[in-house]
Amino acid sequence: MKAFMQRTTWITWVTFLEAIRQRFFAFLIVLGGAMVLSSVAFRFMDFGHGELKFVADFGFGGMFLFGSVLGVVMTAQLFFSEIDNRTALTLLAKPVSRAEFLLGKFFGTWLVLAIFVFVLSGLLGAVLWSRSIELNELAEKMGRLAPEFSPGGLVAFALLQWLRLGVVIAIVLTIASGARTFLYAVVVGALAVVAGQLQWIAQDVLLKPEGSVWYRGVLWVTSRLLPNLEQFNIGDALVLDPTSVPANAVVQVAISGLIYMVAFLMLGTALFRRREI
Amino acid sequence: MRSLYFGILTAICWVLAGTYSETSWRTVRPCIPEIGRRDIEPTLGQGVLLGILGGMRTVIADGTWVRSYVLWERKDRPGCETLMRTACALDPRSRYFWENTGYVMGYDMAHWEVRRRGGYAKVPADVQEHLYRSYARRALEVLDQGVVNTGGNAALLIAAGQLAEMKLKDQLLSARYYRSATESRNAPWYAPYFCARNLWEAGQREESYRWYRKIWEEKLSKSEDGAPDDLKNLREMEQALHLPIIQRIPRPAWEK
Repeated sequence: MKAFMQRTTWITWVTFLEAIRQRFFAFLIVLGGAMVLSSVAFRFMDFGHGELKFVADFGFGGMFLFGSVLGVVMTAQLFFSEIDNRTALTLLAKPVSRAEFLLGKFFGTWLVLAIFVFVLSGLLGAVLWSRSIELNELAEKMGRLAPEFSPGGLVAFALLQWLRLGVVIAIVLTIASGARTFLYAVVVGALAVVAGQLQWIAQDVLLKPEGSVWYRGVLWVTSRLLPNLEQFNIGDALVLDPTSVPANAVVQVAISGLIYMVAFLMLGTALFRRREI
Repeated sequence: MRSLYFGILTAICWVLAGTYSETSWRTVRPCIPEIGRRDIEPTLGQGVLLGILGGMRTVIADGTWVRSYVLWERKDRPGCETLMRTACALDPRSRYFWENTGYVMGYDMAHWEVRRRGGYAKVPADVQEHLYRSYARRALEVLDQGVVNTGGNAALLIAAGQLAEMKLKDQLLSARYYRSATESRNAPWYAPYFCARNLWEAGQREESYRWYRKIWEEKLSKSEDGAPDDLKNLREMEQALHLPIIQRIPRPAWEK
């Protein structure tokens, strides 16, 4: 077990170093950061929402969009670079199992995305905090209700986003394990993320007693195969209205994400074991 | 054999993930603004997929609203309605979108339709009236949805009451909306009077007086100034109903 951990950690570290040096990562983190910081300048486009909601939504959007792109493209790229350059062959010729290889890739990429998510969340937190101070002063002067901002909620949201990206990485690695080309893995991975993001529609229908048995059966299978990625998007409620979030919501979503991650990684390992390199 | 165990374990993990995800979704569902399947269908192809998928809902709802104004200027009814409804669907908790979609549908679109059919001189009066009423009904549906999504926003109830009164000429329906507005949080000061006036004009004069009096005694009279305008209206009602002195509201010390 100790040797298993050591080898996985070693591959994780190598993957992390390789990923963090990528220009693609630097480009997207700068773009995401610029988007969060510029949100204050776009306030004039807002119609009747609270200002903090608008700024927060801008940041969440950046995290969602660029995070998803990074999760899909970078994972597939890191996996296929090893296959195409034949380094995987050399590596797997040593006493390294395919499961260790896949787990190393997973954790390395996930660590890079942790940096991405927490840097953007830090910037967003700073922007929201500075604006909330100004808005609170203004509200006090005008005798209005001050807007609420919960830093703890932002941390919880960042953790959930990181978990969501973990599920995305696991999905892409599973697809890449069975795929022949990088392009195929990226396209199918992106489609799977979109499908996961819309999976809640199937779950919503299942919660209501409507439709034929056949229809409900298809929805049941769909809602089991694909993870519900929409459930991670509770940032608005967590950051701006924390009292509206049930106490166990974050924990439940986190557990659900973790189980899906394990399920996808197990399937990925099974597929990768059968793959000819 | 090892592969078989691994496969069974993976399958168990998968079913567990799906089942648990259902539980967690039930818990977080109330925190996520509702977008129904029917709201999504007309929005597809409008470039708002990103908003439906996850982040930037507010930003994309705002962008969609700006685009709807362009179509409003062109008097493009289907396009404008689709985009306005899209903005409402993307950010269902925003009062602004519901209120203005209701106003545009209830007050503007019927006139666009009359003009499209040749103008006010050409379209018969009864057809014009039918158009005003049918668009007002559709606008009321939008406002009703808005009331549900915003948790009973008073401004939306007032807009609905106004529309029912002016376009549908249905004073009882209008009174119902004003009554709900009176009972909601942040009710405007004029909502009880509008409700009572509509009931009165619809012929339910005793009911109107009873309700208005109850509201005045329980709520309005406890305000800082005692709501003298409402008391004046109630006195006029008492006179019109020929109520004996004993049945009238006891005179407060400050009443002129």
